[in-house]
Amino acid sequence: MGSVTDNQQIASLPGGLAQRSVPFHRRYRAAGRFGSLVLGALTLAGCASMVAPKPKDPDALAEYEEANDRFEPLNRKMYNLSVWADKYSLRPVAKAYVWAVPRPVRSSLGNMIRTMNEPVVFFNDVGAGKPRRAGDSFARWCINMVAGVGGFVDVAKYVGYPHHDNDGGLTLATWGIASGPYLFLPMMGPSSIRDGVGYGIDQGLSPWNYVPRGYGLITFNWAYNIMGTINTRADHLDDLDQVQRDALDPYATIRSAYQQQRKALADSIKNDHRATVPDWYN
Amino acid sequence: MKTSLSRRFVLGAIAALALIAGLNRPASAAESATDFVRHLGTQLVGIVNSDLSSSEKKQKVLPLLQSDVDVDAIGRFCLGRYWRMATPEQQATYLKLFHQILVNAITDKLGDYRGVSFTIGSTTPSGEDQAVDAILHRPQQADANMQWIVSTAGGSPKVVDVIGEGASLRLTQRQDYASYIQRTGGKVDTLLSALQRQLDKHRAAEGD
Repeated sequence: MGSVTDNQQIASLPGGLAQRSVPFHRRYRAAGRFGSLVLGALTLAGCASMVAPKPKDPDALAEYEEANDRFEPLNRKMYNLSVWADKYSLRPVAKAYVWAVPRPVRSSLGNMIRTMNEPVVFFNDVGAGKPRRAGDSFARWCINMVAGVGGFVDVAKYVGYPHHDNDGGLTLATWGIASGPYLFLPMMGPSSIRDGVGYGIDQGLSPWNYVPRGYGLITFNWAYNIMGTINTRADHLDDLDQVQRDALDPYATIRSAYQQQRKALADSIKNDHRATVPDWYN
Repeated sequence: MKTSLSRRFVLGAIAALALIAGLNRPASAAESATDFVRHLGTQLVGIVNSDLSSSEKKQKVLPLLQSDVDVDAIGRFCLGRYWRMATPEQQATYLKLFHQILVNAITDKLGDYRGVSFTIGSTTPSGEDQAVDAILHRPQQADANMQWIVSTAGGSPKVVDVIGEGASLRLTQRQDYASYIQRTGGKVDTLLSALQRQLDKHRAAEGD
């Protein structure tokens, strides 16, 4: 086992360095090559068990293409792990939260969380080149932060600026970037290569990840993230319970619904050609 | 000279007629699909918001589903490529089970939707069918966007799919079934027994 780790270090040396160290490690060279071969084979074998084999039958192949799930074995492992962890952690917490907190309080917390995410939506609207949508989210941010008392009341909705979704994955989609294979991220749920990258972009766009120390802002950020997670999970208690109960293969049902919804969202952003002036101006 | 003129006239007239008919048909199909969904939706919302007990509501909804939803077509779609592989007996059994499952799925939801209303938006052609946009307003919850896919292939308009927030119910169901069959050995019979188990479970839950 130890020799494998040694070989791994040798194998991972950059080319130039390996060349220079040849006289020194001549006798390790063959072993190093052998080791990297073994490692490569192991990695390939590891990957092979994580990648779903491509079916030969044309109908089955069409189904495989439609599912867009190259990494299905790995994804299913992550899915099972997440469902198991959710059952003993987030789901009971979300249920207790729904039980303890009355609906109006939950919905205003939901509003606050949504408003605090408005900057991310705004930057993505700008990135997608949709000025009308960007204007809407900017107006929502300003109105809800002031008239909505820090976002707890969604005043903007009543004055003609309803909420719309946007995130990094959708922005990349409007740039014509394909979703890539489906991914199920542990604890984060359904995603894809593109949406995973988009999630990283969103973290960079969210001002709350740049809060300075002091004034309790770090505490606020933690509370915001934890509350956001619980609140979002609570919103989906019934849906997810229903999928677990009614679907024959809940994993496939979630995969299908997620990919369809993402496609529909991306299409609705692409096809949004409304004028930049607000509705009341017309 | 005269013949060519009259030929031109006749051809022109035919083209004009075809154009008028062509312009006319999608508009009327869209209109009838919109009216159909509005009518069906009003009836459904009326039942959901009434003070009847849940079993009475179920009894009232059933005839609507029989007359306005093409359950057989949805069932065939959901079985996908396995429909062709199934024997006629399997097909008949499957459709019978699918009917009951769809009815259960819809009637289970009736209680959740108290106080709903809806607005009908625009209607656009979707393949050979018509897609009618609708927004569902639920009390204390965000509005839900949905599309009703209406087919007139069988003569009278019938619902063949509902798209909720971008996800087609029949497509999602088909991928669920396909994945289940594929992972349990590629046999239609395993699906049939799984559906039967679901129905038994539902009946047991209702009996409690």
